Amino acid sequence: MVGMARAGKSEKFVNAREMGVVACRRCTKAWPLGVATCGRCGHTLVSRDHLSLHRVWAFWVLGVACYIPANIFPMLNTRTLFLNEESTIISGAVELAQYGNLGIALIILFASVVIPLSKFWAVAFLAVSVRQQRVISTRFRQVLYEVVEYIGRWSMIDIFVVAILSALVQLKTLASISPGLASIFFALSVIFTMLSAQAFDPRMIWDVQGKDGGPRRDE
Amino acid sequence: MGVHAAMSDTPPEVSISPARKMFLSGASVIWLVPLLALIAALGVAWKSYNDLGPLIVIEFEKGTGIKAKETELKYRDITVGTVEKVGFTSGLGRVTATVRVDKDVAPYIDASATFWIVQPEVSAQGITGLTTVLSGVYIEGSWDEQIGAPSDRFQGATEAPLIHTNRNGLEIAFRTTTNGYLTDNAPILYRGIEVGRVGRAKIDPRGGFAIVEALIFEEHRILVNDSTRFWDASGFTVSIGPAGAEIDFSSLATLVGGGITFDTFVSGGGRVADGTIFEIFPDEETARNSVFNASEVEPLKVSVIFDDNISGLVVGAPIELSGLNIGKVDTLAGIVDNDQFGDSRVRLNVIMSIQPARLGLPGDVTAENALRFLQDRVATGLRARLASGSLLTGGLKIELVNVDDVQPTTMRLMSNGLPMMPTTQSDVSDAAATVEGVFNRINSLPIEELLNSAISFMNAAQSLVMDEDLRETPQDLRQLLAEITGLVGSDDVKNIPVALNATLSRVEALVADLEEQQLAAKLVAALDTVAASAETVSASVAGAPDLIEDLRAVAQKAGALNVEDLMAEATALVDTAETLIASDAVTGLPVAMKEAVDQVNTTLAELRAAGTINTINETLASARTAAANAASSSEALPQITARLNQVLEDAAAATANINTAVAGVPELVERIQAVAAKAESLEVNELISELTGLTRSADALINAEDFNALPRALKRALDEVNFTLQALREGGTVENVNRTLASARTAADTVALTAQDLPQMVARLNRLFAQAGRTIEGYDKGEELSRSAQAALRDIQKAADALASLAKAIERNPNSLLLGR
Repeated sequence: MVGMARAGKSEKFVNAREMGVVACRRCTKAWPLGVATCGRCGHTLVSRDHLSLHRVWAFWVLGVACYIPANIFPMLNTRTLFLNEESTIISGAVELAQYGNLGIALIILFASVVIPLSKFWAVAFLAVSVRQQRVISTRFRQVLYEVVEYIGRWSMIDIFVVAILSALVQLKTLASISPGLASIFFALSVIFTMLSAQAFDPRMIWDVQGKDGGPRRDE
Repeated sequence: MGVHAAMSDTPPEVSISPARKMFLSGASVIWLVPLLALIAALGVAWKSYNDLGPLIVIEFEKGTGIKAKETELKYRDITVGTVEKVGFTSGLGRVTATVRVDKDVAPYIDASATFWIVQPEVSAQGITGLTTVLSGVYIEGSWDEQIGAPSDRFQGATEAPLIHTNRNGLEIAFRTTTNGYLTDNAPILYRGIEVGRVGRAKIDPRGGFAIVEALIFEEHRILVNDSTRFWDASGFTVSIGPAGAEIDFSSLATLVGGGITFDTFVSGGGRVADGTIFEIFPDEETARNSVFNASEVEPLKVSVIFDDNISGLVVGAPIELSGLNIGKVDTLAGIVDNDQFGDSRVRLNVIMSIQPARLGLPGDVTAENALRFLQDRVATGLRARLASGSLLTGGLKIELVNVDDVQPTTMRLMSNGLPMMPTTQSDVSDAAATVEGVFNRINSLPIEELLNSAISFMNAAQSLVMDEDLRETPQDLRQLLAEITGLVGSDDVKNIPVALNATLSRVEALVADLEEQQLAAKLVAALDTVAASAETVSASVAGAPDLIEDLRAVAQKAGALNVEDLMAEATALVDTAETLIASDAVTGLPVAMKEAVDQVNTTLAELRAAGTINTINETLASARTAAANAASSSEALPQITARLNQVLEDAAAATANINTAVAGVPELVERIQAVAAKAESLEVNELISELTGLTRSADALINAEDFNALPRALKRALDEVNFTLQALREGGTVENVNRTLASARTAADTVALTAQDLPQMVARLNRLFAQAGRTIEGYDKGEELSRSAQAALRDIQKAADALASLAKAIERNPNSLLLGR
C-alpha cells in the first residue's frame, strides 16, 4: 500500500524508489535504499519484489490444476437407504435447478464456477499486464486487485456448505452425506488462488505508470 | 538477496536477456511447489493406473440387476472388482458385464473361474441372498487357488454352482436310474442335520441314468466312507397300524423339496476320495440290503442289433449267460444305418446293461475287465440271441450262448460309442406252439361240469340245512324233556309224601291223646279219628291210580311217539348229509347226557345215603310193633274191639287201597323203565354211533348256522333235564319223603310208647271187663270179636308186608322210583 501513495502534485511521478527510500511493508517506516531489515519491526525491506510474478504464476497454475479435478470428482456423497448418490459441483447445481431451486442453483454456480474462473482470469490479467504495456488504466487494475483479494476468502463458501452438511446429515444407515474428493481439490484450488493473488505485488502496477504510463495518462 | 540487490541496483537498464536469466535463477525456489504437485499428481496417476486391474468380460443369460459402476464382483464376500460397463454380445444374444478386477486378484481368475449373479432367493431350503435386497445384486466369483493361464472372457452361470470357494467339502456324485429322487439343491441329511447339498441333476451323456454332484461339507466329511449308503428321504410315509395312523417325514424341507439321507451300516469302510460315485436307493431297507449284496460297480453297456421281430422283449428283461442272470435290457430303440448294414431297414438296437460283479471275474471287477472278457468270448463264438423267457407271457430274454462253426468276428464299436455284440439265430419259434398246446390243454379241461356239480352239491346241502323239520327237531326234543320235567315236578307226585306225612302226624297226635287220656272213650274217638284219617288216606291214595295212569300215559306217549320220529329224522339226517355236521357241540352232547345221568345218579345216591329206605323200614317195623302191641292189648277190650274192628276194617280197606295203589307203582316203574331203557339202549346209542360215524365221514364241512344251532339246542335240552333234576333235588321232594317217613316213625314210636302203657290200661280194662263180664255174662261174642281182630291184624300184616315189598323194590332199584331206570 505504500506503493499507492503517490504524489499528485505534478505530472511527473516520483516514487519512493526513485527518491532512494524504501518503506517497511509491515510498520510503514521509510528507510534508505540498501537497508536490509527494518530497524523498528525487523521486517525484511524489499523495494520491488521481482520474484512475485513467479509466485503468482506458480500458484495460479496449481490453482487451475486443482480446479479441474474439483469439477470432475464428486463434491458430495449422498447415501440414503437405497441410493448412493454422488454429485459433482455442476451436476449438483443442475439437479437443484431441475428440482426448482433455481436461486440456490445460481448461487452455487456463481460461487463455485463464476467466481473461481473470474479470479483465475483476473490474476492472470494482472500478472500479464505488469509485463506487457496495456491500455487498461492502472486505477482499474488496482481496483481489480483489491476485489480479487477481498473476494478470495469467500470462495470457500462451497467448502463450508459441504462441511456443514456432512456434519449435520449423519443418520447412520438411513442417510448420510460425506464430502467427496472434489471438495479437497476445490479447497486447494481456492487456497492456491488466494496465495497467487497475495503473491502479486501491486506496486508493480504503478511502476509502469511511473515510467511511461504517466504522460500517457495525462494526455 | 545479494542477487536481488544487484538486480535492483539498475532497474532502468533492465534488458530482456538478464531478465530471463533472473527468471530462471529465481524460478528454482517457488516453482518447486507446482513441480512437486505435478510430480505428486503424476505419481498418483501412475499408481492408480498401475493398480488398475485388467478388464474381464462375463457373459450372462440375463443381466438381472447389474448396473454399471455399481455392481460389484465379490470373492469370498469381499469386493474384488466393479462392473464398468454392461452391454450385449453381438446379435444381442447374451448380456456382457465388463468388470474391472483388482490387479492382485486378476491372475487367479483363469479358466477355472465361474461367475454367477447373487440375488435374493426364497426356496424350500430357506432364503438366500437377503442382503442383496438392500444393496442390490452382485456378481459372485469362484476360482481355484492356482494361477493359471489368463483369460478375459467368461461364461456366467445361471445359478450358484454347488461347489465353490465359500463351500468346501467332500465332492461326490450320486447316480440313480429311478425317477424322482434328485431335486436340485436338495439337502443331504444325517440324523436330521444338513451335512451336505445336492447340485443340479444331469442326464448321463449316454442317457442311462441321472447323475448329480453333491457336496458333503468339510466338517462332516468323516461321516462318509465307501460303505456308506445313500437313500431318498423325500416325501412322507403314512402307516396305519394298531397304534393308529402315523405320518412320517424327515423335515419340511425334504417334504417339499426332497432330500437324501445316508448311513453307514457296517464298519470298516475306507476313505472316500473326491469324485466317488454313489448309488441312491429308494428307501432305507433297500440301502441296507445293498450293503450285504455283492458290490455292484458301474455296469457295462453293450449294444446288440437284432434283425428279428422282437415283440416281447421289454426294458428290464434278463440277460443270461449259461443260465446265470448277468444283467438286464437297458434300452430298446430302432436304428437305421445304411452305411453299417447296407440297407435302410429298421433294426432293433438293444442296449444291454451287464453287471460285471455277476460275471465272477478274477481281479478287479470293472467294466473294462468285463468288456475284455466278453471280447475274448466273442472271439471263440459267444453270440447273443433272443430266447423265450416265459412260455405263458411270451416274454423274451437275451441269451449269450456259444455257437460252434461261426465266422470269427469281434466286438466293434458302434457310432454311439458302445461295443456291439454279434448275434445268432434266435430261439423263440417253438415257444409259441408250446404255449398254444398248453393253453389248449387247459382249455379242454371240463371245468364247467366240475363247477356245475359243485354248485348242485352246494344247493342240495343248503336245502337240507334249510329244512324246517330239521330245524324243529331240537325244539321237539326240548319240549319233550320239559314235559318230563313238569311231570316229575307236578303237585300230585309231590303231595303223596305230604299226605302221608299229615296222616302219620295225626296218628302221632292220636297216640299222644291216647297216652294222655288213657281212656277207652278217647281211644274210641282216636280210633274214629284213625278211621277218618284212614279214609282220608284211602281217598288220597285213591288218586294214585289216576296219577299212575297219567304217568303211564305219559310214558306211553314218550315211548311211542316223538323219540322214534326224532330218531328217524336224525337217522335220515345223518344218512343224507354225510359230509355235514361235525361240531364240538355235537361232540359235547354225550358229555352233557352223561352229566345229566351223573346228576340223576348223584341225586339217587343222595336219596339212598339219606337213609330213606331204612327210615321206611324202621317206620314199618315200628308200625308192626305198634300193631302187635295193639293186638295184645286189644284182647282186653271186647267192646272197643268191635269199634276197633270197624276201624281196622277201614284201615284194611285203606291198606287195600294203598296196596292197590302201590301195586300200580311197579307197573309205572316198569313203564318208565321201559321208556328209559328204550331211550337208553336203542335210540341214543344209535344216535351217538350215527353221530360218531357222521363225524368220521364228514370230510367237507358246511358251516351253516342252523346245523350249529341243532347241537346247541340238544345240549340245551339236556341241560334242561339237568336243571330239572337239580330242581328236583333242591326242591325238597326227597326231603319231604324223608320227613314224612321220619314222622311216621315218630308216630310209630309214640304208638309203641303208648303200647307200653297198655298193660296197665289193659289191667284196668280187665277189671272193668271183669265187672262188665259179671254184669253181662251170657254175652258170648268174644270169640267172634277175637276172630275179627285177628283178621284185621292179618290184614295189617299183609299191608305191612306189601309196604315191605315196596320198600324192598325201592331198595333194589332206587332209581326206578324217580327215573324209571
